[in-house]
Amino acid sequence: MEREVLEAELVLPTHMKFKKIQMYDKYPKGQARGRHWKHLKQIIQAENYENYPPHLPTYVNIETPPSMHPGKKICDITGFEAPYFDPRTKLRYANTEVFKTIRSLPNDYVQRYLALRNAAVVLR
Amino acid sequence: MPFISKIERQLDYGSFNSSHPIVIDNGASYFRIGWAGENEPRVIFRNIVQRPRHKTTGETVTVVGDHNPVLLKYFDCTRSGPRSAFESNVVYQFEIMEYILDFGFDRLGADQSQRYHYSSYLPYDPSFHFQTDYFGIGQIDHPILITECACNPVQSRGKMAELLFESYGVPSVAFGVDAAFSYKYNQQLGICNDTGLAITSGFTTSHVIPFINGEPVYEACCRTNVGGYHVTDYLKQLLSLKYPHHISKLTWERVEELKMEHCYIAADYASEVQLFQRGDKEAEDKTRCWQLPWSPSPVEEPPSEEEIARKAALKEKQSQRLREMAEAKRSSKINELENELKGLEFLLEELKDIEEEDEIVLFLASRGYASKREVESAFAKVTQSLRKAKGEQVPSEEKVDISAAEKYYLIDIPDDELSAEQLKEKRRQVFLKSTTEARQRAKQRRLEEELEKEKEKKLEEQKRMENPERYLEQLRAKYKELSEKLEQRKRLKTNGNNANGNNNVSGGVGRGERLNAAQRERMRLLTTAAFDRGKGEDTFGQRDEDWQLYKLMSRDNDDDDDDKPDHDETELARISSRLQEIDPTFFPGSESGASASETPRFRPLTKEDFQIILGVERFRCPEVLFNPNFIGIDQSGLDEMVGVSLRRLPSWVQGLEDKMTSSILVTGGSCLYAGVGERLEAGIRMIRPCGTPIEVVRATDPIMDAWRGASVYAAAMQFPEQTFSRTDYYEKGEDWLRRYKFKYTI
Repeated sequence: MEREVLEAELVLPTHMKFKKIQMYDKYPKGQARGRHWKHLKQIIQAENYENYPPHLPTYVNIETPPSMHPGKKICDITGFEAPYFDPRTKLRYANTEVFKTIRSLPNDYVQRYLALRNAAVVLR
Repeated sequence: MPFISKIERQLDYGSFNSSHPIVIDNGASYFRIGWAGENEPRVIFRNIVQRPRHKTTGETVTVVGDHNPVLLKYFDCTRSGPRSAFESNVVYQFEIMEYILDFGFDRLGADQSQRYHYSSYLPYDPSFHFQTDYFGIGQIDHPILITECACNPVQSRGKMAELLFESYGVPSVAFGVDAAFSYKYNQQLGICNDTGLAITSGFTTSHVIPFINGEPVYEACCRTNVGGYHVTDYLKQLLSLKYPHHISKLTWERVEELKMEHCYIAADYASEVQLFQRGDKEAEDKTRCWQLPWSPSPVEEPPSEEEIARKAALKEKQSQRLREMAEAKRSSKINELENELKGLEFLLEELKDIEEEDEIVLFLASRGYASKREVESAFAKVTQSLRKAKGEQVPSEEKVDISAAEKYYLIDIPDDELSAEQLKEKRRQVFLKSTTEARQRAKQRRLEEELEKEKEKKLEEQKRMENPERYLEQLRAKYKELSEKLEQRKRLKTNGNNANGNNNVSGGVGRGERLNAAQRERMRLLTTAAFDRGKGEDTFGQRDEDWQLYKLMSRDNDDDDDDKPDHDETELARISSRLQEIDPTFFPGSESGASASETPRFRPLTKEDFQIILGVERFRCPEVLFNPNFIGIDQSGLDEMVGVSLRRLPSWVQGLEDKMTSSILVTGGSCLYAGVGERLEAGIRMIRPCGTPIEVVRATDPIMDAWRGASVYAAAMQFPEQTFSRTDYYEKGEDWLRRYKFKYTI
């Protein structure tokens, strides 16, 4: 290991004197690293929030509901207000110049612009 | 404000006695750890872990937080990016969390103070057998106050408790919400009342939490899953779509810096964006430009006189040398040939003296020749090559001019008069004759064409002379028409979707999109041929036109127009070159916007090509906090969240809502944008009845206040009552953790 790396103590030591169980004991090398950690969705599911009394605040029911106002439609390229919608690319656009550019955009760019607002076609 | 990290190792860990709590603000972006009662956390680092491979030794190492990026050159980070223990604002990956805690405690100095606490191990401790560690037994012997998100799922809280108790041997733990600590801290400073709202916008989520008498009311709080992460990500994506050539420059860290430096919240998005749409002076002032490192490509200076002279001299010298070498070679060859000739002459002389046939044969055999003829032919050959070497005219060239009749003497003789060999010869001659004739014909044609062109040119020139302006106009019109036509054809070829009247509903991703019109037609023909057997009797082939179908179907049909440059294209090229000749203002491709891609590619890169312009992006990106639907999140933004929260409050308290709105504290890293307060106030005013008192204040330090509040809290005398100990954890279990409720007013 290079000297400057050692000096900066960049690398976390594997043995920590202040720990009761060391990482290498807990997650032995060679075995599949650690275990599968439940993702948030699974955690929420396992939590069985539907069995809770409804007045109790939980991670799920404190979420904000959708907005009461209709969503602002902005041009996907420029961010201007977008009165128009291109049915081919499904992009919103502000004026003719933007329209020209979106029609010349390659498909993957269109999809990336759509993905920005979570509207891309997802192929499964 | 760039990244702030404090990762120097602290040395005074040992001077704190074991009842002194450690305070951790475990935020999704930053991890802050320090001692209760102090005003600043001791150690701050980004809450990320990387596990790169060391390049020379090949071992996988763990790197926590952000370090000097220069040092990472020794590591191969391609296979593991920075990873976080968080999903949304909940800790779920406790292996990563453990690395982070390891690093945090290590930098707090815990590694140096080894004190042995045999007494603290109670017999029921299930991890007892682990304590016979060779290096001795360690633990973090301090109570810990760690922050978590509002309404953290019990699973996450339980795992965190398990980790702290079992791996670190912590005696007791308390969990609090960062926003609440921040609110309490500011309340103590007199910035907000004990009843009010905390609007906190963090890295991955934003919350509005109401406080009544200093206690958070989670029943009425609300969370939107939008935070600084989304703002940065949005900016990064937008910029990398806008500047695909500079993607490598747009690292997460750089974009985050750009965000912190330039982004602001527009007082009103619509009017602000109109400012830019009109392209006013004001908008220009608001546009920021990031100049990427760029150096003009070195301009090639014309070489000086001396240089040219020197180079010419050098060249001359080299060619002189080459000439000399060639001359030497030639003379040596001539020499050689002369010697050989002499030898052969001598041999022939000798042969003349010998009379007997047998002797001749014997004599020749001794010198390697079979017959006298061979010697003579060798002699002739050598003489010829000698002549050639000396640069004399070789007489055999004359053959070329033999008249055609002589050359093709066999052609006119009928086949049956010729022998087999002569027949072969005749065939050869016929072939030769026809090819030469064809060549001549082609030559003739070319000549004629050139003449034709010349004539046309003259005609055009004449036209031009008559009325130059009109001529130019005509030329331009023709150019435009042609280029449009070609463009149209190109478009048709790549996606013949729109012009075909084919309403492809899939909007550009279906199978049909990938084929051009001709290909599609072919597919249609093939499918009808394969499946449409016809209803009545099969009449195919009765008419000759039917067989044309196969021509259309054949594979090479659809791309034969690609092979030869078609007429329009050549015409266009001609006109554009002509225009370039006579019209100084003409620029190919500048006529129509569609053909802009035809501009010359090898234009030297200028300073402007290395600029990243931030215009609308400056307020478009942070706008996602107020309009999460910009990034496809169907939840209310910060201002509406206040209304949601107020609606969720118990309605029986008189004037509670007014009390709330008259003390609104904004905190968290994502409220550092300029203009947040004004925008929030305007937004809340819209949803509240007229005359509502509204007071929006910003926290003293939106980023650090949560830790400071927690530090103050942990230093209080009553703090131990709020913690739960290892004993509690092992005896009461997870269910007890669920009911664990932290009291902020003590």
